[in-house]
Amino acid sequence: MSNVDMVEVKARTVEIAIEAAMQELGIKDREGLDVEIVTEPVKGFLGIGGEDAVVRVTKRKGRRRRGGRGNAASRGQRDRSAKTKSDDQQRSYAKSGKNGSRQQENKSPKNIGAARKPERKEKTVSDDRPVLSTEEQAKIAQEFLEGLVGAYGLEGEVTTTVEDDVIIADVSGEQTEALVGVRGTVRGAIHELTRTVLQRHGQQTARLRLDIAGYAERRRQALSIYAEQLIDQLIEEGGEIMLEPMSPADRKVIHDVASTRPGIESYSEGEPPRRFVVLSKVSSSEEE
Amino acid sequence: MAKGDIVERVVSYIIKSIVDEPDEVSVTVVEQGPDEVVAEVRTAKGDMGRVIGRRGRVAKAVRAAASAAGEEEGITAGVEFLD
Repeated sequence: MSNVDMVEVKARTVEIAIEAAMQELGIKDREGLDVEIVTEPVKGFLGIGGEDAVVRVTKRKGRRRRGGRGNAASRGQRDRSAKTKSDDQQRSYAKSGKNGSRQQENKSPKNIGAARKPERKEKTVSDDRPVLSTEEQAKIAQEFLEGLVGAYGLEGEVTTTVEDDVIIADVSGEQTEALVGVRGTVRGAIHELTRTVLQRHGQQTARLRLDIAGYAERRRQALSIYAEQLIDQLIEEGGEIMLEPMSPADRKVIHDVASTRPGIESYSEGEPPRRFVVLSKVSSSEEE
Repeated sequence: MAKGDIVERVVSYIIKSIVDEPDEVSVTVVEQGPDEVVAEVRTAKGDMGRVIGRRGRVAKAVRAAASAAGEEEGITAGVEFLD
């Protein structure tokens, strides 16, 4: 038996991560485990990116408990200490990023099943929901959003199109500004709700992009300008710049801008939701 | 229009759109103060899980949507999910 009793594992899905953690701990059945999902997996954006699942699996001390509430308190404690540890890790991460040494591999949880595909979730819900075409899903999203705008008593127009198997929904009209919220929080909520509606109707939900009152487009432009400015600065001064933590969609905007600028490289570090982009100037003579 | 009407309409519309049994959904708006309401949501037993979502993600989204509805009326709106 190994003497390790807590591991953190990163993998494409929660399920795979737990399996791997069990192997790591040398445990065969789940009864003896406490599983904490640190990060839910996030699907990539247009097949690029996406976040792996991270789970923290702790071996239970002593005998298996079934329904006993024995040492719940001490378990809570352990969870907390584990959390602190990972926070520290995160911090040292951020530092290493600045120096440009990419020690990510040592510090990040073990990466298993690395070859990630933009594949659908493998939840094993008893599934009698039909498999709908992306067009059919777009129609459901459209109807839901129209009804929602109406429920708010707002005037606005909803359009949906399908591009590369992604549903692009656009809610427009002056009044729909009310559905954006501070820093797009309401837009984010409506995005989540629309996805939930799609999941109710069918399995295998297509990707959904939602813009309201031009918010996402404005944000994309603002981020692009910001990235261009940082890159100009980098080209003059060299080195690396760490950006603040961002959502996958926002990070993609930065990566896209960076990819258009010769001599500039970008990559992401850290674990979501605090994952951030690092921009760096590639030294022409490949020496450190 | 009574206070909380938009909140009720929005919350009720959203919940009914995500459950399997929309007829079992009830949304009651309760006044908490002059400018504050809470929408109490009840659903069929099997539907509550979906309404709350993994790690409360859907519930959180419903709350954000309700609070935007409240803003339309100039009030603060919360949501409670009841069994």
